[in-house]
Amino acid sequence: MAAAYSEAVRMRCREPRRAGGWPDGAAHVGTGATGSLAAGAWTTLQVHGTGGVIDDARFRVFGCSAAVASASFVADALVGATPGGVRALDARAVAEALALPEDKYAMAAMAVEAARAAVDDWQTRAEGR
Amino acid sequence: MPATRPIYLDHHATTPVDPRVVEEMLPYFTEHFGNAASRQHAFGWKADEAVERARHQVARLIGARAKEIVFTSGATEANTLAIRGALAARRDRGAHVVTVATEHKAVLDVCQAVAADGGRVTVVPVARDGRVDPARVAAALAPDTVLVSVMTANNEIGVIHPVAEVSTVCRARGVWLHTDGVQAAGHVPFDVEALGVDLASFSAHKMYGPKGVGALYVRRAPKVTLVPQTVGGGQEQGLRAGTLNVPGIVGFGAAAAIARDLIASEGPRVAVLRDRLLAGLQRALAAVTVNGSLTARLPHNLHVSFAGVDGEALMTGLADDVAVSSGSACASGSREPSHVMTALGAGAVERWGALRFGLGRGTTAADIDAAVTHVAACVTRLRAMSPVAVGGGL
Repeated sequence: MAAAYSEAVRMRCREPRRAGGWPDGAAHVGTGATGSLAAGAWTTLQVHGTGGVIDDARFRVFGCSAAVASASFVADALVGATPGGVRALDARAVAEALALPEDKYAMAAMAVEAARAAVDDWQTRAEGR
Repeated sequence: MPATRPIYLDHHATTPVDPRVVEEMLPYFTEHFGNAASRQHAFGWKADEAVERARHQVARLIGARAKEIVFTSGATEANTLAIRGALAARRDRGAHVVTVATEHKAVLDVCQAVAADGGRVTVVPVARDGRVDPARVAAALAPDTVLVSVMTANNEIGVIHPVAEVSTVCRARGVWLHTDGVQAAGHVPFDVEALGVDLASFSAHKMYGPKGVGALYVRRAPKVTLVPQTVGGGQEQGLRAGTLNVPGIVGFGAAAAIARDLIASEGPRVAVLRDRLLAGLQRALAAVTVNGSLTARLPHNLHVSFAGVDGEALMTGLADDVAVSSGSACASGSREPSHVMTALGAGAVERWGALRFGLGRGTTAADIDAAVTHVAACVTRLRAMSPVAVGGGL
C-alpha cells in the first residue's frame, strides 16, 4: 500500500530519474529485462558506455512503486560502474537504501537482475564488434 | 471554489463523519454515558432510549422493522453472524453455501472457513459486466443449500447485482438469501422487501457515520433464526452479546436518517460528476477502459483501467493530489491481482492498470476537473516509462 512507502520511493515515483531508453540495436547499448506483463512486474534496464565503463543508464518499468523506485535507483548506481561493479550490486542493499517494505524486496532483486543482464548484453555486443 | 488537496475520491473505503452525526453522538460519551443494558436507573434508560431510536432510524433506511435490526461492530461481524449463524441454525437441512466470485473478503473468507469446517461452498462466477446471472445461482442450489450470499453492490467496481431476481430463485427453493449491503445502503434506494432478502449487512462508516458500528438485518416474517456467534450477555435479542456501543449506534442512526433524506438528490448529483470524471479521463487519455457495467452501477463509483500503467504505481504517484484506491496488491514479488478483476476475466493490462474512484457528498465539479488533470499527468508520466505499448500490450 502507498502508505508503507518511504519518501525515497515516493520521490523516485514523482521524479523517475533515468526513465526512458535507447532504440533496439543502438550503438554501445546493452539491454536486460526481467518479469512480464502477465506477472504484473516487468523491468528493462539499458546501459551505455565505451571503454569498459558505463556512462549512462535508462530504465522502463511496468509495475508497482517499489519496482519503479528500484529501477530508477539501480540505473543511477550503474553510471560510472564497471561490469564487475554491477555484478557486485546487492539487491538487499538497494531495498534497504529505499526502505522498501520487506514484501517488496523482490522488486529490488528484479532491478538488479535486469542490470546484470544488461551488462552481459553490453559486453557480448562489445566483444562482437 | 478551489479544490482542497489531496482530493478525497475513496469513499468506498470510508466516508467522513457528518458533523451533524458527531453532534448527536457527543452527549453519549459524556453526560449520557449509561449502559443500555442497565434497566434499573435513568442512565441506562437514556442510553437504551437512544439505541432504540437509532434502531428505528436504521430500519427506516432499509424498509425494515426496528426489531429486525441487530447492531454489531461492523459489517464484517454482521457477515459472519449471517453466514455462520444461518448454517448453525439449519444443520438439519445441510451445510451448503452459495456465493459469488466478486464478494468482499468479509464474505469469501467466512465461506472459506465454513469449507474448512466441513461445509460445502459453491462460488458462482460473474459475467463480463460483473453481474451474477440468477440462473447460475439457481443451478448451484441443492437440497442441502442453507444460504445464498450475494452482495448488493460491489465494493471495487460498484456493479449492482440483480438481488431481487436472485431472491425469487432462493424463495422457490426455501433457501435464505443474505446480502452484503454495505456499499449500496444510504447511496441508492435499498428496501429489504423489494429485494426479498432474509439477512443484510450494513456499516455506518460507509454512509457518513462512525467506524466500529454496523448492523445485521434479520427477517422476522417469515422468521429467520440464527445461532449467535458471540455469547455472554444476551444483548441484541440474544444474537450478539457484548455491551452496546451507544455513541456509535446513535451515530449510525443519525447517519442513516440523513442518508435517507439525501438519497434522492445526492445519487443523481454524484452520477453527473462521475460521468464528468469518465468523460474527462477519456478526453485526456487514450486506452481508458471501464470495468464492469456502467449502467447497473453505484452512482458514485468509477472503476477504470489505464493501459500500460500499474494501478498501485498510479495511486502512489497521485497520493499528494488525489486519494484513490487500486484493487491489486502484491507481496513477495508474486503479485496478486484483485480477485474481482480476475473474476471479470480481465486481461493483464486491465487487471493491473485498474483504479477505483469513489465520489462523495463533498465532491465538487472543481474536484473532478482537478482530479482529471492530476490523473492524466500521472498516467502520461508512467506510460512514458512503461515497456508496455499502450493499446497493444506485448
